[in-house]
Amino acid sequence: MEHLQLAQLGAGIAIGFGAIGAGLGIGIATKGLMDAISRQPEVAGKAMGFFLLGAALAEACALYAFVIAFLLLSK
Amino acid sequence: MEHWIYTITIAGHSLSLNLDTIFTMWFAMLCLIIFAFIATRNLDIVPGKLQAFCEKIMSFFWGIMDTMMPGKNKQHVPLVASLFLFILFANLMGQLPLRIIHIKEGELASPTNDINLTAAMAVIVLIYYVVAGIMKKGPKFFLHDFSFIGIVMALVELLEMVTRPLSLAIRLFANIFAGEILVSILLGACAYFAPLPIMLFEVLVAFIQATVFMMLTVAYVSSATGEEH
Repeated sequence: MEHLQLAQLGAGIAIGFGAIGAGLGIGIATKGLMDAISRQPEVAGKAMGFFLLGAALAEACALYAFVIAFLLLSK
Repeated sequence: MEHWIYTITIAGHSLSLNLDTIFTMWFAMLCLIIFAFIATRNLDIVPGKLQAFCEKIMSFFWGIMDTMMPGKNKQHVPLVASLFLFILFANLMGQLPLRIIHIKEGELASPTNDINLTAAMAVIVLIYYVVAGIMKKGPKFFLHDFSFIGIVMALVELLEMVTRPLSLAIRLFANIFAGEILVSILLGACAYFAPLPIMLFEVLVAFIQATVFMMLTVAYVSSATGEEH
């Protein structure tokens, strides 16, 4: 195979595995938010802020993979 | 994304500047400076509308510092507040229609889509919290007990000095950059109304990423100046 085709394959694998981790992380964070709100509905506003912060931190892991994929493709 | 790179040579060393990033960065900084200049004229004990708004902003930062870093914390508010406001202005500037102004290469988008800017801010945060820790504790900032745990902790903290700025820089850069790539892909699919929901989401991402950068800065400074770190 050509060099560029292998790079495209690598970029696809990189972003795919990166997305697995971020998806699991955001899913667990959402589960925690739902648990907290169903136990104590009055903390919904405060829990939402922490949820957005944690989801952004988890999402960043997928974006690291995105940067690597983009670096692979831009050769 | 291409940047408009201008190379200057000083005494045989070449230095490349990303001019589009510098223009947009100064635009964001000028917005902030002019806003702060207007807001601090004619201060009064009974605040007007603008002064009340700015006092609300400052009390937001003081509230965050009180919850995250109890004790003597007011000296760190200027760094934290200016980081938050600058990143927020810089991120939101990507949604302004500045791209219709054509420059030689690249485009006038948010300056945070350039990793050089975010890396510079992350290095400033690193220097700030190391210096704050040294001023608080002296050389004990680097030292631990001479035991197995102490040696491992010292090595781990040495590693953190590399990984913390790296993750701060790449997180902010990759969020803004991925948003722009997503919008441009959707523009290629359907130029009318298709990228609109993603652009609205980018406004939310701008706020969240500015908050994340600020919160992590506060956490690093508070762990460096705290009693046990």
